[in-house]
Amino acid sequence: MRRAATRKAGQPNSTSVNSSAVDLFRSASSRASTKELERIDSLFYSYANASSGLIDPEGIESLCSDMEVNHTDVRILMLAWKMKSEKQGYFNLEEWRTGLKSLRADTVSKLKKALPDLEKEVRRPSNFVDFYSYAFRYCLTEEKQKSIDIESICELLDLVLGSQFHHQVNAFVEYLKIQSDYKVINMDQWMGFFRFCNEISFPDLSNYDSELAWPLILDNFVEWLQAKQS
Amino acid sequence: MSAQKKRNFQIEAFKHRVVVDPKYAEKTWKILEHAIHEIYNHNASGLSFEELYRNAYNMVLHKFGEKLYSGLVNTMSFHLKEISKGIEAAQGELFLVELNRKWADHNKALQMIRDILMYMDRTFIPSTHKTPVHELGLNLWRDVVIHSSKTQTRLRDTLLELVYMERSGEVINRGLMRNIIKMLMDLGSSVYQEDFEKHFLDVSADFYRLESQQFIESCDCGDYLKKAERRLNEEIERVSHYLDARSEPKITSVVEKEMIESHMQRLVHMENSGLVNMFVDDKYEDLGRMYNLFRRVPSGLSIVRDVMTSYIRDTGKQLVTDPDRLKDPVDYVQRLLDLKDKYDKVISLAFNNDKTFQNALNSSFEYFINLNARSPEFISLFVDDKLRRGLRGVSEEDIEIVLDKVMMLFRYLQEKDVFEKYYKQHLAKRLLSGKTVSDDAERSLIVKLKTECGYQFTSKLEGMFTDMKTSQDTMQGFYARFGTELGEGPTLVVQVLTTGSWPTQASTTCNLPPEILGICEKFKSYYLGTHTGRRLSWQTNMGSADLKATFGKGQKHELNVSTYQMCVLMLFNNADRLSYRDIEQATEIPAVDLKRCLQSLACVKGRNVLRKEPMSKDIAEDDAFFFNDKFTSKLYKVKIGTVVAQRESEPENQETRQRVEEDRKPQIEAAIVRIMKARRVLDHNNIVTEVTKQLQSRFLPNPVVIKKRIESLIEREFLERDKEDRKLYRYLA
Repeated sequence: MRRAATRKAGQPNSTSVNSSAVDLFRSASSRASTKELERIDSLFYSYANASSGLIDPEGIESLCSDMEVNHTDVRILMLAWKMKSEKQGYFNLEEWRTGLKSLRADTVSKLKKALPDLEKEVRRPSNFVDFYSYAFRYCLTEEKQKSIDIESICELLDLVLGSQFHHQVNAFVEYLKIQSDYKVINMDQWMGFFRFCNEISFPDLSNYDSELAWPLILDNFVEWLQAKQS
Repeated sequence: MSAQKKRNFQIEAFKHRVVVDPKYAEKTWKILEHAIHEIYNHNASGLSFEELYRNAYNMVLHKFGEKLYSGLVNTMSFHLKEISKGIEAAQGELFLVELNRKWADHNKALQMIRDILMYMDRTFIPSTHKTPVHELGLNLWRDVVIHSSKTQTRLRDTLLELVYMERSGEVINRGLMRNIIKMLMDLGSSVYQEDFEKHFLDVSADFYRLESQQFIESCDCGDYLKKAERRLNEEIERVSHYLDARSEPKITSVVEKEMIESHMQRLVHMENSGLVNMFVDDKYEDLGRMYNLFRRVPSGLSIVRDVMTSYIRDTGKQLVTDPDRLKDPVDYVQRLLDLKDKYDKVISLAFNNDKTFQNALNSSFEYFINLNARSPEFISLFVDDKLRRGLRGVSEEDIEIVLDKVMMLFRYLQEKDVFEKYYKQHLAKRLLSGKTVSDDAERSLIVKLKTECGYQFTSKLEGMFTDMKTSQDTMQGFYARFGTELGEGPTLVVQVLTTGSWPTQASTTCNLPPEILGICEKFKSYYLGTHTGRRLSWQTNMGSADLKATFGKGQKHELNVSTYQMCVLMLFNNADRLSYRDIEQATEIPAVDLKRCLQSLACVKGRNVLRKEPMSKDIAEDDAFFFNDKFTSKLYKVKIGTVVAQRESEPENQETRQRVEEDRKPQIEAAIVRIMKARRVLDHNNIVTEVTKQLQSRFLPNPVVIKKRIESLIEREFLERDKEDRKLYRYLA
């Protein structure tokens, strides 16, 4: 009993030693991070629109050109995801800080260098689902908007999935353009297509089971593909 | 103590030495043996039963039971051998007679012997486990007489020969036959079975196999069945006359197997006389015979049922898909009813009201009625026709019969909601034009629909009746108040229809003639005065009018016309010639309706109160119209119908379909939500099944449509997909 008590008593002691070391380290790093934060903020203001206090589409374009990246590049969408940006075409200070801090970038060149790592991070399966659904939400610009028109969906699909599921995306885009049942795509259908790409062997579709409650649009898509193949 | 020996004394029983004459046993047996001989020789009258009994008793008592028993066996065997020889010697027909006679003798003798040896039977035999006297006698008869090498097969062949002769129509001595069979049965059921029944069944099977083959080659199905039935009855009769009752199921199953089971398919499908021909020719007797015979064999009825089902399905399918039939909906439904009547009659007269056949009939109707998407419409049109004129002068009971039949067809419909749509439309027309023959019949049908489909289904239909009644009261009130004031002007009858209860019609109004407008306005203010907060709008496309008209030579007619037609005709009070454009402008009747109404006023012979230039069947937009002075008619009252297709045109049909589909959406969604609210989590297929089950009393929802509704509910966040299992949906409260 006694021994147990001593052991218990010993513990806080050791942590206090540890914590003091951590504190020391923290205070040092916090000093560094304040400086970094200042640099991140000043970078923000160099692109922000003075009147709105936001980086607007214009600002984003000039940021892109400084990084020598096209503004329609998927990596910009990834950057928006990293910043958890809510409004398409705009970054606010809060979002900018979140994004750049976690990318450990406080200059344009650092940011540019961080992009390949960012892409790797996004491509990790655990993140990619989140990014994929984010991409859809990011495009909902209107209040209460729940679906996106076919034309935009086709572009977005190509952007986010095109490199990974080239054939599936091409076929689906072709189908979307000739069918007339759907004018818009909703989140459920959007996520359904991603699952489809991941789970269904393409182009033979051998493991597609329409009993499995796929969104109807995918049933129709598969039917169309099969008709086309035969 | 231990040294002292204990002695037990035993008192021995007194040995009573019975000195018996050493020859006693032999002597006594001789007496008995002699008696047995005498019995077999029919000389028993001189024997003393008392003496013989005592002798036998004494022999057993003096431990000569064994001698007595073996002596009996030997003596009896000896006599039976003699008898057997006699029987074997009998010629021809006398064989059975002799056998029968000797059997009777043996039985009599056996009875006496048993009586004499009663004491042995009671004491010696049970203690030595020997066969009792009577049984011994039977066994010896069996072994010595029946199973003698010469008799055994001869007996069997003789019996079978007699059966064969009887089957071939000859008369045999059934009494003798019965006695012989009875003998075999008395000898033990195994004797009957082994020596007769087994062979009897084999021979019968061969006989019927051969005979059925001959019949089926030479007879038609009906005759064959008659013959089979007769044979079956003959066999049953045979059993009752001279065979063991337990043989009946065996022999009938032989006949059933050989005559029916082996030929079922061929019989049912027999060309020109098979089952289908029996249906076509209404051969109830043959059908009944087939039913009764086929039910005796396994799967017999299912063959009949399957053929019936597929035949009804084919006939029904032909009926409902025949384009000619689509031209006359009333005839179409009448034919369906006739078809149903026909098979109802078959099932009740010939098929013993068999439930499985009724079910087959029902499922067949359900199958083909729904092949034609217009069946609901046509059934409603049939009712419409009956309630408009078909039931006039028909007794109340007959009306009920017709309505019940309609309800039966209604039950087969999968799309009951489509029927409801049409029924509502047709009922509205009947009510508004006052064309319904019997209010009771109308209500009776509504009650039937209500019991079938519930309150919801008929609430709106009932609302229509209420409206009619209320309108009557309202009109009475109106005239009570303004009657004198209105004087000689036109009489107005208004039916106030509650929105929602009546079929929705595009509200197309037209300009009413000034003569009418006044009283209309008066009514409107009267009505709104008593019912505040309501809105009245005139449905001029649904009304009708009676006009008094005077023609060229002063002849007067009363014209029964629609409101539109009235509007047009009233214009001719002030003009003799009006162009199409004039009329269109003055009345503002929609072009389609105006053309129809002008067509019926100017182009129908005998109803042409207007004249058209140029003369043609169709109305063109640059036509001119004149009041037809020369109009004549034999009748005072002239009814000018509007040219309307009774059944819907293709585009109208499409429109109704679409409306039905739209109406189904909320019902499907409500069902999904109800189910999910109760189950919280459910997989796709189960939702589809449950929704279908919930809605099937009204219609059969398409699984794809259900899926669409589910997706819509997901989008509106009533449901979500499970994160792991794609098949599952979760209810979001």
